[in-house]
Amino acid sequence: MGMLHKYYKQSATYKVFIALIDILTDFLDTLGKITQNGICVIKSLLKGHIDFKELIYQCSRFGVSSLPITLTIVGMTSVIVTSQVALEMVKQGGGNYIGMMMSILIIREVAVIMSGFAIISMIGSSLASELATMRVTEQIDAIEVLKVNSVEYLFVPRVLSGILMMPFITLIAAAVGIIAGAITADLFAGLNYRAYFDSAWLGIYMKDLWVSLLKAVFFGGTIALISCSCGYFASGGAKGVGLATTKAVVWSFVAIVIWDMIFAIAFFF
Amino acid sequence: MSIEVKNLVKKFGDRKVIDNISFKVNDKETLAVVGFSGSGKSTVLKLICGLISKDEGEIITSPGDIAMVFQYSALFDSINVADNISFALRERRDLRKKYTEEQIKDIVEQKLELVGLKGIEKLFPSELSGGMQKRVSFARAIVTEPKSILYDEPTAGLDPISSTLIEDYIVRLKEETNAASIVVTHQMSTITRTADRVIMLYNGKIVFEGTPEEMLRQDNEYTKQFVTASLDGPMKMMEGNNDE
Repeated sequence: MGMLHKYYKQSATYKVFIALIDILTDFLDTLGKITQNGICVIKSLLKGHIDFKELIYQCSRFGVSSLPITLTIVGMTSVIVTSQVALEMVKQGGGNYIGMMMSILIIREVAVIMSGFAIISMIGSSLASELATMRVTEQIDAIEVLKVNSVEYLFVPRVLSGILMMPFITLIAAAVGIIAGAITADLFAGLNYRAYFDSAWLGIYMKDLWVSLLKAVFFGGTIALISCSCGYFASGGAKGVGLATTKAVVWSFVAIVIWDMIFAIAFFF
Repeated sequence: MSIEVKNLVKKFGDRKVIDNISFKVNDKETLAVVGFSGSGKSTVLKLICGLISKDEGEIITSPGDIAMVFQYSALFDSINVADNISFALRERRDLRKKYTEEQIKDIVEQKLELVGLKGIEKLFPSELSGGMQKRVSFARAIVTEPKSILYDEPTAGLDPISSTLIEDYIVRLKEETNAASIVVTHQMSTITRTADRVIMLYNGKIVFEGTPEEMLRQDNEYTKQFVTASLDGPMKMMEGNNDE
């Protein structure tokens, strides 16, 4: 029996099983920590424990520094989509619908999800590596020893800045995306601006706009919360900082896609 | 009594990193905690200041703050020296409204003067030498007038002259604050120049307790090996190489 047990422990099945258990444990552990920090942030917000000076700094970091790359990504996506469909739609007699199609597409999905991806790569990774560095250099320990609530001090302004800034970024990105579509439709399919914008206007629904902004609020808060949490619980020097940053990016990508799916089912199904 | 540790046990997984240790540190007294790397010294400090939780035993401290000076200073690198020192005064809920900006400025100046660094308020930690960073971290630690000060390898990575300066400040801070101090160190000069008593840890247990003079007399096999930096003796590096 003992020998059988020994061979079983050396088998590939056993090793795969153990690896899966480890992945599941790590997943649940991370999810638990993120939830715990999220609850702490909500409690602090409800109590009004907000450092406004730090909040303004984080808002400028979240919004201003990420805006160029976000607008570039959304603008480029709009150019790519319009350049591929505009000529075909004009040929099929649907030129008047290009603007409408682009405005629906951009407002419902492209602006918010592409902004989310840009924010993850620009801000999420930066938040995770910043907090992870603070953890491995004992700066977070120093905050705790000085009897300051480190989660409140570090998370609240960052998460709140994500919640506040992401809708603005999404709105600006949507406008840029629609304008980029107009320029592309003109260049590739000879569609004049007036026809494009008349059609685009018809595709802008208030419900789409509100849902998109609500999504942006959830995306911004989620990205900041996950990124901060992954950094906050980092361990083990430079390697730990790298792992925390990777984890933050992967988890944030997955989380916003899940949020997107939930919103799609809840509002458009 | 300012810090009393009774039958303290800390396990990481199945391994006992701190194994049933007890000691006391009185006000105005400095206790040096020595031992090989991985013997559990830093863990003791983290347990006392509450950064990690104990598994068994008791830690009794006098009412008042416990300050800690970290091995690599742990200054907040995104804010300047003045903001580092005044961090607790500005961010702690119970202190936030207690001081005006003028008072905070005065306290920062006073603490910087105490560690011999007047006029560097506007500099950032990255603009300071290792020794200066350490002294700023001293100033940050004593800003709330703590009753106990814990030093985690305060002279690590410093040149001999900077080490001497830091040791002098440890003595000076004890005199100024009347705090109970615990200094975790490997360095003999830090032990002899700052400590009133010494405990030596090996594999999470106390293997020597006495004065620095008694330690230097080398009556104990463990202290003899430590003082002579010998590979031969009761302490085996591999056995004692636990993570702190």
